[in-house]
Amino acid sequence: MGWNLIFWVLCFFVDLALLSSNFYQLVILSDLEADYLNPYESSSRINFLIVPEIVVHGLLCALFLLTWHWFLFLITLPLTCYAAMLYMKRKHLIDVTEVFRDLSFEKKYRLVKLGFYLLLLFIIIFRVFTAAKMSFYRSESGELDIRSAFLEF
Amino acid sequence: MTPFSSSGPVVRSDAPGLRLSTPSPPQSAPPFSSSTGPVVRSETAPGFRSPAPPPSYVPPSPTTAPFSGFPAPQFPSAQPRLWAHPPPPPPPAGGQVPPPPVPLRPPMGFPSPPQNVNYAPPTTNVPQPSFPGPGFIRPQSGADSQPPAVQSPFPFVAQKGGYAPAPPVAAPLGFQSRDQMQHPSPGPGAIQGLVEDFNSLSIGSVPGSIEPGVDLKALPRPLDGDVEPKLLAETYPMNCNPRFLRLTTSGIPSSQSLASRWHLPLGAVVCPLAEAPDGEEVPVINFTSTGIIRCRRCRTYVNPYVTFTDAGRKWRCNLCSLLNDVPGEYFAHLDATGRRIDLDQRPELTQGSVEFVAPTEYMVRPPMPPLYFFLIDVSICAVRSGMIEVVAKTIRSCLDKLPGFPRTQIGFATFDSTIHFYNLKSSLTQPQMMVVSDLDDIFVPLPDDLLVNLSESRIVVETFLDSLPTMFQDNLNVESAFGPALKASLMLMSQLGGKLLIFQNMLPSLGVGRLKLRGDDLRVYGTDKEHALRLPEDPFYKQMAADFTKFQIGVNIYAFSDKYTDIASLGTLAKYTGGQVNYYPGFQSAIHGEKLRHELARDLTRETAWEAVMRIRCGKGVRFTSYHGNFMLRSTDLLALPAVDCDKAFAMQLSLEEALMTTQTVYFQVALLYTASCGERRIRVHTAAAPVVADLGEMFRQADTGAIVTLLSRLAIEKTLSSKLEDARNSLQLRIVKAFKDYRNLYSVQHRLGGRIIYPESLRFLLLYGLALSKSIPLCGGYADAALDERCTAGFTMMTLPVKKLLKLLYPNLIRLDEYLLKTSSPDDLSSIEKRLPLAAASLDSRGLYLYDDGFRFVVWFGRALSPDIAMNLLGPDCAAELSKVTLSERDNETSRKLMKIIKKFRESDPSYYPLCQLVRQGEQPREGYLLLKNLVEDPMGGTSGYVEWILQIHRQVQQNP
Repeated sequence: MGWNLIFWVLCFFVDLALLSSNFYQLVILSDLEADYLNPYESSSRINFLIVPEIVVHGLLCALFLLTWHWFLFLITLPLTCYAAMLYMKRKHLIDVTEVFRDLSFEKKYRLVKLGFYLLLLFIIIFRVFTAAKMSFYRSESGELDIRSAFLEF
Repeated sequence: MTPFSSSGPVVRSDAPGLRLSTPSPPQSAPPFSSSTGPVVRSETAPGFRSPAPPPSYVPPSPTTAPFSGFPAPQFPSAQPRLWAHPPPPPPPAGGQVPPPPVPLRPPMGFPSPPQNVNYAPPTTNVPQPSFPGPGFIRPQSGADSQPPAVQSPFPFVAQKGGYAPAPPVAAPLGFQSRDQMQHPSPGPGAIQGLVEDFNSLSIGSVPGSIEPGVDLKALPRPLDGDVEPKLLAETYPMNCNPRFLRLTTSGIPSSQSLASRWHLPLGAVVCPLAEAPDGEEVPVINFTSTGIIRCRRCRTYVNPYVTFTDAGRKWRCNLCSLLNDVPGEYFAHLDATGRRIDLDQRPELTQGSVEFVAPTEYMVRPPMPPLYFFLIDVSICAVRSGMIEVVAKTIRSCLDKLPGFPRTQIGFATFDSTIHFYNLKSSLTQPQMMVVSDLDDIFVPLPDDLLVNLSESRIVVETFLDSLPTMFQDNLNVESAFGPALKASLMLMSQLGGKLLIFQNMLPSLGVGRLKLRGDDLRVYGTDKEHALRLPEDPFYKQMAADFTKFQIGVNIYAFSDKYTDIASLGTLAKYTGGQVNYYPGFQSAIHGEKLRHELARDLTRETAWEAVMRIRCGKGVRFTSYHGNFMLRSTDLLALPAVDCDKAFAMQLSLEEALMTTQTVYFQVALLYTASCGERRIRVHTAAAPVVADLGEMFRQADTGAIVTLLSRLAIEKTLSSKLEDARNSLQLRIVKAFKDYRNLYSVQHRLGGRIIYPESLRFLLLYGLALSKSIPLCGGYADAALDERCTAGFTMMTLPVKKLLKLLYPNLIRLDEYLLKTSSPDDLSSIEKRLPLAAASLDSRGLYLYDDGFRFVVWFGRALSPDIAMNLLGPDCAAELSKVTLSERDNETSRKLMKIIKKFRESDPSYYPLCQLVRQGEQPREGYLLLKNLVEDPMGGTSGYVEWILQIHRQVQQNP
């Protein structure tokens, strides 16, 4: 009963972490564009985050699969595959020598990810509330709310 | 007919570009006038084994033969008659020029349209079908009934528009003359539309034949080399010299929609340190009292185009039009016309190129001394090839000439499977060697005395260089710990920066950055993985390159291996540090020693700018968006150049920021902030202005082929790094086609263009350079056409070459020498060898001696029927031997001395590379093929098109509707 809530809260924090990591990278890239940061600094900062981010995202995706949350699993899957593909091609890191050439693409990529994680965050927040309400209801009336059952997919 | 019947197919079977030799000894040919079509082909096509032609033989006539790859299998027997047409006498200027018998322009009923220059009688162009029927006779008679429709081979006096450049000075064949000649119109009211604003080339089909043809002689060829656009310099005389900055078109488009119709690159090629001839040096200005005058907002340096107002108390920035205050010390009164009265004492206000001495605000640290660090491979291959000896001797001979005395610093390290450092401390009598064998954890054994001041440790350094060749002569080590040695060099040099010269003889095999053989996989070619071969294999190299740039270290690579060394990876080091790659495949000190000696000496002694950054600013409305060349971007528009010299050029593309330009003039300012070898921090500033134009025709009129070709080549080479060679060539071709198509659309409404390809005067060579570019080493063919290492080297080199050198590499000089050598006139009279020949096999006469010069190597071609005296005089007793083993040296006779003098003169005219002389005899296969014939860009070779085919191909694509 409480596990469900814990799971969603965990997802919430993981997603928040991913979101902030992306936001941070975007800020760095904008700084780089505006010449507040040099390419060495910015690419080393970003590259430091990239692999952990891929791993965390993969874990989140796997977690959704293991808990049978099909819908969430399916919407996180494409990004996982894309990141894995980049990793396989060894193109996941920012190339410090060509960073300005790829800058606009990298920014767009991160912007899209940011939007995606934001969407995910809303879904998860909704789930957290649902789960919280459910555990609250259950403890009170022991009845299952039809809406939350529907939203479980 | 019989002796030639077998050689007919030869034309077709010359697929790999190297002709099958048909050892037909000089036969007594049938008299030429009666010979049949196939004779013509057999004579010229299989490699100039022409029987000594009868005197009536007109030399240029065989030009058509190499192009007889057109499916025109039989030649009419009457054909050769046409060869003998002498070029018709030029009609009196202004005389009526009858239209040529081109089907699309009927000869009658049309009041003499303005003819384009290039009409030769079409009958001379094209092989005609062999059926002598009515269809054949009619055009013939048509052609005969009229005087040959050729216009004057000399430029008419052109009627110039405001911007119309003068016709090229020497248009040897006269076809490039501008089309603006005035014809007294035969009919009233026909003046309109008579003045054509473009050049054209008739692609007129010969009536009765299916194949269109082009007059070979009329094709434009850049036989005068690069011609810098003069127009801009005339309009804006205070612009910097074009050797420093060239725009692809001096007419900046006024709107984005106009820019999008200009399909060629829009940008600039900058060579900030180009060598200026004596007397034109860039003036050095010291603003000690006032500080350097710059715009407050956009940081533009004061330049000739700023305007002073408010009685001289303010100046208006020409880039951002901000009003700035004039510092008190810089103040001067204005005269009645608003000019400063001290103008003649202020070179920065009168000249486009100046150099400011930078005060301490422009330094992040004290200016570094010139520093040279040599990293030398001493494995067995290096020892055997003799490379070490040449290098050591050259460095020793250059010690006096290294720039920056007495601050110059120097250091050495050598490596095989271990890394050797040398303590060169001045108190020692001879150098101490320290060996580091732990490749995983590299450390520098003695941080202080490995890099020493040259003037202090001179004796130790000399002792070291004298002993270096013998030190390793018994070395049998076959490993190369290149990566660790690179890391050690970085540690050593990171304090000061400087120049790292790497002499590399084999594939790195130990430690980080080891590489594997990967270049010999034929199957990868043509697949999507092909481009990966041209990229660094190990990210280590990119990372190292970035680190080198960070610490202000410029890397120059000298590679010597005869086997695959992965220049793609090694060259990355040079690419991002502003360096260059010199590759001597299969180095042998006896053969290539001289070349290495000169090029290394040039590298060490030329004026070098240290720890430099470059930025190009431009006025409102435009912005530089991409940069191409060997450098690393430090921020969006700042090029980091740890060491840059006069032989490096950088290209950049610009785009319009706003939909509509509001200004009439756009200003560009290149600023290179660097440390001169003398220890002074300086800023070299080049300023140029260019007009904004609202018309595409004007953009084309002001285009600069040299800059366009440079940018196109860099873009194409970059494309080979991300896609297939074929794609790179196709996109190059597509770009040219699009540009010509839009140009055609400008005129197709008012003019009857019919079977003509039209092009602006300024771009008349673009087609040929485009062809040459797609046949150049980085882009040509596939797996077999160039070794991967050579391809990569050529790519890295072409990414840095200045405009003039690049154009010479693309369309090399071909000069006939024998007449000059035999002439008894004074050896200083070089007029007869200044005439460059078209790069086609047809230019080669078997009785001649030719020199091919692309700026990187010379090929001396001995015709089969060359007078034995010359060969004997030049080669001595070796003249019968195989020429691959013979080297050219001065012998004790006039002919040889003359030849050597010419070669010396050519070498001195461009010292950046030292061309080695290679000798080849006509018919000596396969050497002749790959040394010379492959480089004759106008000939069709192994599946690539020749010049005529290329023009036809472009023409066809231009005419296709989008």
